[in-house]
Amino acid sequence: MQSSSLVKQDAIVVKHAKYSPVREFWRAFKKQKAALVASIFIVLLIVIAFVGPYIVPYDPFEPDYNAILQTPSAKHLAGTDEYGRDIFSRLIVGSKISLTVSFSAVFLGLILGTILGLISGYFGGWIDKIIMRTCDVLFSFPDLLLAIAIVAILGPGINNVIIAVMVFSIPSFARLVRGATLNAKENVYVEAAKSMGASHVRIMYKHIFPETISELIIFVTMRVGTAILAASSLSFLGLGASPEMPEWGVMLSSGRDYLGTATHVVLMPGIAIFLTVLAFNLIGDGLRDVLDPKIKNN
Amino acid sequence: MKGLKNFIFLFAMIFVLAACSNDDSTEPVNEPAKESTESSTAGDSNKPTSEKAQELVIAVNENFISMDPHNTGDTNSNSVQAAMMEGLLGFDAEGQIIKVLAEDYTISEDTMTYIFKLKQGVTFHDGEAFNAEAVKTNIERITNDSSLRLYSRGFSLVNGVEILGEYEIKVTLSEPYGPMVTRFAVAKMMSPKIIKESIEDIPKNPVGTGPYKFGKWVQGDYLEIERFDEYWGGGDRVDKVTFKPVPENGSRVAMLKTGEAHAIYPVPAQNQAELSNTKDVKVNSVPSTIARYVSLNTFSKPLDDIRVRQAFNYAVDKDAFLKVVNSGLGVPLDSIIPSKTLYYKQQQVYNQDIEKGKALLAEAGYPDGLEIEIWGNTNSDTMKGMQFIQQQLKQIGVTVIIKSMEEATLSDEIYGAQTPEEAKLKMWYVSWSSYASDVTNATKPLFHSESFPPNSANTAYYNNPETDKMMDEANSISDEARKTELYANLQDTIYKDAPWIFLGVDEILYGVRSNVSGVIVNPTGGLDVANAKIN
Amino acid sequence: MLKYIVKRIVEMIPILIVVSILTFLFIHLIPGDPARLVAGKDATLEEVENVRKSLGLDKPIIMQYFSYMKNLVSGELGTSLTTGLPVIDMFKTRFMPSIYLTFLSMFWATILGLLIGIFSAINKNKWPDYLGMVTAVSGISLPGFWLGLILIQIFSVTFGILPTGGLNGFSSYILPSITLGAGIMSMIARFTRSSMLETMQSDYIRTGRAKGLKERTVIVQHALRNSLISVVTVAGLQFGFLLGGSVVVETVFSFPGMGRLLIDSISFRDYPVIQSALLLFAFEFILVNLIVDILYTKLNPKIQLQS
Repeated sequence: MQSSSLVKQDAIVVKHAKYSPVREFWRAFKKQKAALVASIFIVLLIVIAFVGPYIVPYDPFEPDYNAILQTPSAKHLAGTDEYGRDIFSRLIVGSKISLTVSFSAVFLGLILGTILGLISGYFGGWIDKIIMRTCDVLFSFPDLLLAIAIVAILGPGINNVIIAVMVFSIPSFARLVRGATLNAKENVYVEAAKSMGASHVRIMYKHIFPETISELIIFVTMRVGTAILAASSLSFLGLGASPEMPEWGVMLSSGRDYLGTATHVVLMPGIAIFLTVLAFNLIGDGLRDVLDPKIKNN
Repeated sequence: MKGLKNFIFLFAMIFVLAACSNDDSTEPVNEPAKESTESSTAGDSNKPTSEKAQELVIAVNENFISMDPHNTGDTNSNSVQAAMMEGLLGFDAEGQIIKVLAEDYTISEDTMTYIFKLKQGVTFHDGEAFNAEAVKTNIERITNDSSLRLYSRGFSLVNGVEILGEYEIKVTLSEPYGPMVTRFAVAKMMSPKIIKESIEDIPKNPVGTGPYKFGKWVQGDYLEIERFDEYWGGGDRVDKVTFKPVPENGSRVAMLKTGEAHAIYPVPAQNQAELSNTKDVKVNSVPSTIARYVSLNTFSKPLDDIRVRQAFNYAVDKDAFLKVVNSGLGVPLDSIIPSKTLYYKQQQVYNQDIEKGKALLAEAGYPDGLEIEIWGNTNSDTMKGMQFIQQQLKQIGVTVIIKSMEEATLSDEIYGAQTPEEAKLKMWYVSWSSYASDVTNATKPLFHSESFPPNSANTAYYNNPETDKMMDEANSISDEARKTELYANLQDTIYKDAPWIFLGVDEILYGVRSNVSGVIVNPTGGLDVANAKIN
Repeated sequence: MLKYIVKRIVEMIPILIVVSILTFLFIHLIPGDPARLVAGKDATLEEVENVRKSLGLDKPIIMQYFSYMKNLVSGELGTSLTTGLPVIDMFKTRFMPSIYLTFLSMFWATILGLLIGIFSAINKNKWPDYLGMVTAVSGISLPGFWLGLILIQIFSVTFGILPTGGLNGFSSYILPSITLGAGIMSMIARFTRSSMLETMQSDYIRTGRAKGLKERTVIVQHALRNSLISVVTVAGLQFGFLLGGSVVVETVFSFPGMGRLLIDSISFRDYPVIQSALLLFAFEFILVNLIVDILYTKLNPKIQLQS
């Protein structure tokens, strides 16, 4: 009884999505006030990322040695850095770089990790063993080591930072999806679908993958944030984007030398990173409450 | 199955070790209490005055590598060793040679025979006597082990050590070697007992004649040395010095501010002003022998053209460099060697002249500028410097691409090239430091045609038979006037050829709490705590 | 159960051998020449070759691997290329501080994370929920080194109540563990909240409520227990990460742990140290995974261990 009603429920959600997906989604999402505000922030940020280079008050690469380390003022909204460059302009131009890095890294990691996790959890046995042990090996390499090695082998540069950040998010996704898959696999309706002769891919896609979505969404949004942070950690170790790039992590880590003397140099990119990561996480929470069929607002 | 057992055994071992190390790591926590009770009881019986043990804490920027004085390349390890061990000769605060364990010494005309008269009444920390026999044991240790750093830095040329008396010894070389005097100052003397009986202890627990003896070294955490009460040189100093490696600049500065450290070295240039205004803290500066420059690969296009190299030099504003990259400290590099180095001769600096730079570039066939890579390590100062070069060269139409690589990768890229033709290097943002007394090391590895990578550090691939000859001659004579003349010529010629973008000479900054005296840093960056006191 | 554990432990051995081969190839793949780095910038080619020979790096890689493994099997981890000290000596003082720091960080992060998560879930979409989640999200939105440096500025420099770094008694662990635990606390709080919400909607909880069980019993005994599954996954993952030491936190607080040792050894290409450290981490990590898998079955009897 229970299981069949659940299957039906799933079908209904899919149907709804076919009829008026946008309106349905919007109606529910509007209720998530924090997520709404955060989305507006991110949308604005993305707009800024695209039009930024045309609207900035200063050339973000142009030094002015007569105006180094100036505190925020009407002329320089966020002050100037150690070369006298306008930090506000750099933050705006840098938003595009930072967003590109984190989005690309997370989505590449998500796709690969999810596929691996689904296969591993669903089939079990030796496939599971191989995939999970490989993940273990990747995992057992401490957080940044893998990234360091990748950057050391591939050389510096923004693309290699993306690859590095991606590689170390694959196992997290894989393990997470596998865990959820294991859980979902035990559900009676999966058994039912199996006995009805559904194909593996179909079962994975139709019945198991949706079960993992809620956890994936929350993890992806966290990861977009963490990817920004990871890129900045790479910069902290001197392995991030090229130092003249206004990537936020680079700005933050090169500014840390001035923490005691010109705090704004490290404070401004810190705030930018903090707000962006915060916004992504809030959106993730909101999306989850809306999308997950199991959490209904009573 | 045997492998399995062994594996289980090994990991059992690891956990046993972990359990042991448990004790080790909690020890420092308990130790101060334990020791203070010990010393107070000792104090009761020996010294009626209940004087508190003076303990000095110094935070430095890098981990210590080894305590083997014959096999050390890093400045910080050297500093600690210098507090525990002494050489026949040594350096004064200016970096010039002084006598330490040698009462007197003479060098033969051909610079191949050295006779040392030794100080009498000196004992090692383990009670062994310091005499000609001990010196012989030390020198022979170096000459017999080719893997030691000092072997290849002079001592491989030693072909005879002869004891002339209990306190007199003669060392002969197989060929003249100018900087040998500096090498005798670097080579610290260790107790013959440790060399003969427990050579494997040297890297972790050396025994010398210095004002402090080895205390304790907790890998990665701290290294402690204790006052040696029977020090031959007498004097007064603190009971204990603890060196702590603290790589993060902000953390090191914070330690000085809070008083957790009595002294820190180095003080990051950007924190100088801030710390100078902090109560109870003093920041001292020392002109260094560290030259900062960008080496230009003179072998390959476009830098094989002297006009391009000069144009690059004219593009850079040296004062702005010091202001932006060095927070206003240091002086422009106005020769191929820093002004503290022996035989230095000032040159006419390439003052910034954008028009001239552009004109030179156009003359060389690049009227529209060019694109070129600069390499450097991932150090934050290096990255700052490379960005500055990028900004400066942009003014004459040169687009610089920054490639910062982790040190080991970088060194592979540079020294991996077996011939000048193979070298991919165009520009390298780097620094060089050598003892003020050792002009050979400040010139030959950098400009001699024998020194192309991978053989040594002539990364400019500077190839000039004329200057090669000057260096060779200067290296094999002891005639001061002739040497001065040769080195003056050398500096004139090379500076004009512009194999580098000449940037600046660093100023070393170190901070001390105002109640501390006697902590000194010398021009090569070595710390001297021989007379350190807390008032 | 015991049989399963033994089986998993036996399974570790081939994994560790594979890990040892992979790491060995891996670290030799990274560009860099330890002999050159040990010899120094001003070394001549001859000197570099001398050093290479004395370090045994002139032999073919495969020979180096076998001699390393031979040592390993007899309980020797080899000698560091840079310091000339036995690798075991270098691990001794650094291993336990890293373990303590990991446990301490996990301890407070898990407890606080769970509390915030439960509290938020119970008060869903009310202000305590928002407060809890903003706290949690803040913890994960700050770069570690930045948080660490700020903490030093506040607690050490301004107030002078905690040491800036190093290792000198319990107080030295506080700031690093706050820095390290902040992100984990956030993760656990958010995972707890979401899985609590999920399970509280599920049928058996409804049934429980309908049966008239106390809300407290429903939450603690049923909802929490079930949501712990995903929390255990996250906590396990994080725990595994932390055991490897945290490079960034250890650098900021000059904390003598394994992370910094590893970074230093990587920059010197100190092969024996890197190799042994990675093997140790792999071992620890697999061990943690095993424990996580066992916890799974304890929490959810539906999942069976395949033995």
